[in-house]
Amino acid sequence: MSEEEDKKISEFKDTALARIDVMPPNFKLSVGDKGTFTKEQLIAHIKSCDETGIQVIKMQMNFIRALTSGQLMETLNS
Amino acid sequence: MNKILLVTRPKYDDGTEYLSYYAYLIIKDANKFGINNKDFEGKKVITKDVLNFINKKDPNLLFINGHGSSDSLEGNEGEILFSVDKNIRLLKDRIIYARACHAGISFGKEVVKDNDGCFIGYKTPFSFWIDEKRSSTPAKDKIAALFLEPSNEIINSLIKGNNTETSNLRSRKMMIENMNKILKMNKKKEPGAMGWLEILWNNYDGQVLYGNEEISF
Repeated sequence: MSEEEDKKISEFKDTALARIDVMPPNFKLSVGDKGTFTKEQLIAHIKSCDETGIQVIKMQMNFIRALTSGQLMETLNS
Repeated sequence: MNKILLVTRPKYDDGTEYLSYYAYLIIKDANKFGINNKDFEGKKVITKDVLNFINKKDPNLLFINGHGSSDSLEGNEGEILFSVDKNIRLLKDRIIYARACHAGISFGKEVVKDNDGCFIGYKTPFSFWIDEKRSSTPAKDKIAALFLEPSNEIINSLIKGNNTETSNLRSRKMMIENMNKILKMNKKKEPGAMGWLEILWNNYDGQVLYGNEEISF
């Protein structure tokens, strides 16, 4: 990963943690080929910034980008 | 090329169990509509058997479920079914929908190169939330349905005779409808809603179509 990507991952780590933290405990996330994880497992992966954690953080980054650029709402209203 | 739907649906972890169930719904509909189909389920998703079937029966529509990478699609327990280095030429001129991760990055582009086929898949991990309270009966998991029904719509639409462009758009429209449903849930203070929206957005953003948009089943 480039230094810039590393920096972005660190910036979004906390928002990713916050997003997962509010999930009800009975939900699990199937993340592509990484596996299926409980809320607690996701939090551990995000905190450790391993492959799975980084994947989850990237999904958060992509979503926030779409939200702040207006792309999400434009799409939902199309 | 023959009007046959080939489905691979391994099931060896939580994710593939759900994908397999939803792919089974497609098989049920195909049987109901009298559509010729071949179901490779669970441990039967063996590369040599899948390839033999493609060589002998020449199916024009392939629905590949499971895990993948930027340059490959997998069968049972991670066995490589197709990759950019192996068997990819066997897929030319066909319609491929790969409900797998990342194959939309390189594999999908390669599979349609210099032929009239079409690839629909994902350049990101295909992900979905599961309600553990319902995980033993995926049919009752209304949250997983938000992610998997729009995905099934691609094949539903194809087997009804629509072309790949229309089928991709119908799936995308369904994802938009579901994202709007989730927003309403968020307004009613459903705690998981923004988490669900985030993942469904990523699936929407990551869904790609390469090749022939006018080809149909």
